[in-house]
Amino acid sequence: MSAFASKSLFAVLLASTLVACSSKPTDDQSGDLQSGSQTDSQTQIAPIQDQAQQSAISLTADNFHNHPSNYDGTTSSRVIYFAFDNASVPAAAFETLRAHAVYLKGNSNAKVRLEGHADERGTREYNVALSERRGQSVEKFLRVQGVAASQIEMVSYGEEKPAAYGSDEMSWAKNRRVELNYVSGRP
Amino acid sequence: MIRLLLLVLMSLSAAAQAQLMIQVTEGRVDAVPIAVVPFASGGVAVPEQVDAVIAANLHRSGQFRPLPASEMLSRPSRAEEISYRDFRVLGSEFLVIGRVEPLPAGEFRVSYELHDVARGVRLIGETYQPKAAQLRDVAHAISDRIYEQLTGVRGAFSTRILYVTHNRGADYPFQLQYADADGARARTVLRSREPIMSPSWSPDGKRIAYVSFEANGMPGIYIHELSTMQRQLVSSFTGINGAPSWSPDGRRLALTLSRDGNPEIYLLDIASRQLTRMTNHYAIDTEPKWLPDGQSLVFTSGRGGGPQIYRLDLRDRSVRRVSFEGDYNSNPTVTPDGRYLAYIHRRRGEFHVAVQDLQRHTFNIVTNTVQDESPSVAPNGSMIIYATKHGGAGVLQAVSIDGRIKVHLPSKEGEVREPAWSPFFQ
Repeated sequence: MSAFASKSLFAVLLASTLVACSSKPTDDQSGDLQSGSQTDSQTQIAPIQDQAQQSAISLTADNFHNHPSNYDGTTSSRVIYFAFDNASVPAAAFETLRAHAVYLKGNSNAKVRLEGHADERGTREYNVALSERRGQSVEKFLRVQGVAASQIEMVSYGEEKPAAYGSDEMSWAKNRRVELNYVSGRP
Repeated sequence: MIRLLLLVLMSLSAAAQAQLMIQVTEGRVDAVPIAVVPFASGGVAVPEQVDAVIAANLHRSGQFRPLPASEMLSRPSRAEEISYRDFRVLGSEFLVIGRVEPLPAGEFRVSYELHDVARGVRLIGETYQPKAAQLRDVAHAISDRIYEQLTGVRGAFSTRILYVTHNRGADYPFQLQYADADGARARTVLRSREPIMSPSWSPDGKRIAYVSFEANGMPGIYIHELSTMQRQLVSSFTGINGAPSWSPDGRRLALTLSRDGNPEIYLLDIASRQLTRMTNHYAIDTEPKWLPDGQSLVFTSGRGGGPQIYRLDLRDRSVRRVSFEGDYNSNPTVTPDGRYLAYIHRRRGEFHVAVQDLQRHTFNIVTNTVQDESPSVAPNGSMIIYATKHGGAGVLQAVSIDGRIKVHLPSKEGEVREPAWSPFFQ
């Protein structure tokens, strides 16, 4: 558990260092960042640490899957994103998944359906198979945390149910995902 | 006056529709000029314009260039009325004439003749007696006869295309439909709130198989009889139930199941429901298609790292790799003669239909569209229909095996995807 936590922190730090070194912020990018982190009034009362963390890493299609703004570390976060051509659970999602694991272990009546998705590129049935790999990664994570197999079911939709309909890098990033949908005992 | 205006408007909209039906974006330079003279009907209104359907079919094949009716110097409907000279001066090599005569009891007598303009002789001619609803079938049958007479290849105009549509926001966003090969007479087989995938025809064209997620969002493979609309669920295991493909003898389905933990190819004997696992590899194996001999399959496998095409011999279950160009080749299909393989090939991040000649070992990218999926070959081997994106929407296109003919198919409402070209009927 603590190994995961330190790994997660390390990944975030590493990512922010890399971004700080390589990115050339433009007006456009900072504009995106503003709208990404400060549109709703709630942001104004968010912890300072959180804001600092988010502003350190700009939200791009490349780092979307591992961006802290996608995961709040509680069971309220129910979508895990993945890198292109990749089925590894991103470090930024570890805490959120651990929260789901804790909840499932404490509520044996709760059952979660892991719905795997892919972006639209490539052929449809191959994408169904790729999205199953993503679901299996999340399943493995939860099982390692001690969640019973009977509390998890899986379905793979490939590119059939996109979350975003554009044919651009950001839409694809939003579509490479696993959704955690509670079929019973929803938190 | 108003009536006249209405008539003009109606004919204008008919012309606009006809244009939508046939966008040959790239035809053969040597497309054969042919004149299909408007069929005489003795001034009686006929529910289908048989000659227009024939001309559109021939045009859409990419191998013929029909002469616009407005340019014709004469409009014969019987052999004795033909002045070959009128068509020779316009460069038409062949001439189709005909008549549609209403009979009592709602039937019609349709007759046509195909003439060789240069030699001034009749090549073929036939007479049909359809009901009104069958006029379009007759037009397709005549198109098939003309095509075969002039190219030596059986026509595929009387076949159908099965496909999936998606209309975001509709009550039932997903529909499984089939239509005539020219896109007309679309009929809905199934509508659903959940995805429908991978439709496949039985070899006699009477039944179809497909994947539907209708049961609580979980996938099942269904067999559906088109004449009775009766269907049965034949596979709903834990995990993936995907990519059904009907065997040439009609008795088995090849399909993908991940019930053992990762996607493998299985054979399902339809009558006995007996399942036989055919592949055994920790990588992804999916998208099986039968070779015409019924003894082997081609499929997509990730066992080499990225997806590539492999061939599986069903007798000894040996597997060998078939595709070697590039790092992404998937969703193969085979021409009816078994000679060519068509599949999706990624080049510089773009997805195209590629054709591989299994005899001469050549490889060609045949499309310039960039988000291609789901190639399916016409039963006469002439064209490959596939899905791609056009202006952000899913559309169907067709391309000849050699890539020389490219056709944009009629657009439907919403997204159209996963076309499956039917076999010949009977």
